[in-house]
Amino acid sequence: MNAINARRISVVAGIVLAVAIPAFMADYYRSLAALSAIAAILILSLNVLTGFVGQISFCQYTFAGLGAMTVGALSGAQGHHWSFWISMPLGVLFAALGGFLVGIPALRLSGLFLAILTLGVALGADRYLFANGTWNSFTGGVNPRTPSRPTLFGYHLTSQYSFYLFALAAFLLVAFLVWNLRVGKTGRVLRAIRESEVAASTMGLNLIKWKLAAFTVSAGIAGLAGGLLAVQIGSVSPASYDFLHSITVAAVVVVAGVGSLASAAVGGIFIWWLPELLRHTGVNAQFFQLILGLLLVVQLVIAPQGGVVKLEHDLKRVFGLGRRGQDLELAEVL
Amino acid sequence: MGILASGWALIPSFTVIGLVLGGTYALAAMGLVLIYRVSGVLNFAQGGIAMFSTFIAYQIAVKWGLPSIVGLFAAISAGMLIGYVVERFTMRPLTGRPALTKVVITIGWLLILQAGAGLIWGATSYHAPVHLVSRNGFRLVGTSVIIGYDQLTTLIVALVFAFATAALLKYTMLGTSMRAVADDPDTGKLWGISVNRVTAASWMAGSAMAAVAGVLITPLINFNTYSLTLIVIDAFTAALIGRLTSLPWTVVGAMFLGIAETYPRAFFNGAGVSSLVAFLLMLVTLAILFRPGFSGRRTV
Repeated sequence: MNAINARRISVVAGIVLAVAIPAFMADYYRSLAALSAIAAILILSLNVLTGFVGQISFCQYTFAGLGAMTVGALSGAQGHHWSFWISMPLGVLFAALGGFLVGIPALRLSGLFLAILTLGVALGADRYLFANGTWNSFTGGVNPRTPSRPTLFGYHLTSQYSFYLFALAAFLLVAFLVWNLRVGKTGRVLRAIRESEVAASTMGLNLIKWKLAAFTVSAGIAGLAGGLLAVQIGSVSPASYDFLHSITVAAVVVVAGVGSLASAAVGGIFIWWLPELLRHTGVNAQFFQLILGLLLVVQLVIAPQGGVVKLEHDLKRVFGLGRRGQDLELAEVL
Repeated sequence: MGILASGWALIPSFTVIGLVLGGTYALAAMGLVLIYRVSGVLNFAQGGIAMFSTFIAYQIAVKWGLPSIVGLFAAISAGMLIGYVVERFTMRPLTGRPALTKVVITIGWLLILQAGAGLIWGATSYHAPVHLVSRNGFRLVGTSVIIGYDQLTTLIVALVFAFATAALLKYTMLGTSMRAVADDPDTGKLWGISVNRVTAASWMAGSAMAAVAGVLITPLINFNTYSLTLIVIDAFTAALIGRLTSLPWTVVGAMFLGIAETYPRAFFNGAGVSSLVAFLLMLVTLAILFRPGFSGRRTV
């Protein structure tokens, strides 16, 4: 059994399990599963930035909010009653435009200063753009928009399981796209930029173009996640897209590790199921962020390349499957 | 967002409010700069430390009804303790590792402090502010502007801290050691400086300043665990204006930011426009002062 076959088998097994297990769940847990798939898409969006071009973002939920509010405003009950299939692509485009705009100042900055900028963007969105009174026809103000579920091939995706499968399909599609970006010529270009911007530009690569593209694509993916989130929950409230959510998703990406599709799936499950587990054991769900923070601090001291990525490599080593590429310390990736 | 007719008439008294607000930002920002210069770590948890320490003061001064000054000193102690723990147990083991790894750790601390305070004091509701001195005031000679004693105190405390920090860095052995470590930790070691101890001291002092800033700002904002944490972004903007190195420019930047955030309130309802101004100021600062190639290396 070689490494490629093992990879294929594990991917197929993973998909089969992801389809089968929620079929036996209660509706409430199916909705959690759908939320996990959506969170995994959001984590992938951050992977595009962090894993590929080495930029960090603390404002992914802002982009998600742009997507969600577009879908809410265009297809919501109080909105324009447009079809999901028109408003969703527009949401992705609008979020991508937001990413493009943030990408322009980000071109001049790297590392720490970019992190500050994205934090500023997230707060600016929280306190101005998404705040009640600024742009109520877009955000809905104090009355949250209520987008309804889409219809696919004449089938209305109102049941939790059908929408979960829809979200899962979206995740797989985005994962496939991201994977393609990683293995093809694009992936080599982006990795070259991540490793050394100077070397990449001496090779004749247009840094500006590629970095802007990475920001735009990342924000577009986040917008997709936001739009799906809006439709899954059935309501868009600006408070769900604030700065703390963005910090949380960035922390999950660091804990799970950047640049691995499996870590995105695990991260998505972690974000929604750990608070649920806490609630079940009678613990305040706010402990989730406490645990996340502790995990982040502890694991950066122990395994700086990210927990899931480390586990993956350990497993591969155990089964003698060899290592693909080097483990990168987080800071080398960023 | 209606435009108020009386906007211009409010400018003098809003200048006072802006300077007071700026004074608290200056404190938090100077702490940030101190930590950054000595340890090379940009402390994203600065707002979290300010928030948690302030809630200690709130617990003592408001909930238990003890004198506010006791609360203030408790907050300072709490800030120093948090700063020490962060440095000793999560920064020192990573000596020699890239600074960015340590920066991400401060994000972890931000989450811990935020969630911890939410669990103890409740995450959403607003709390009664900690008043250090009476809210009475006096009329500024020859004008109609009334200055509260609490406002005056805030401003004085901020300025005293600014000069004290400058004096500490310039005239004391600890300050000289801090500057030496900021220049080059290895050379510092050669001179027999305990780099660990100096770095811990900078984290403790920087966090204590965050704590004071947090306590002083409580009468100025609706404060809860979330809004108090957000002063980190104002502190960043002020520190960026000081290019993360210059304390005097950081103070100037903080005052400017405080005024820039306050004036829009004279003309617009709600805090939205103020936030927009703060964000634009940060954007412009980043764009103008940090050219490509500025790697954020520590200089003096």
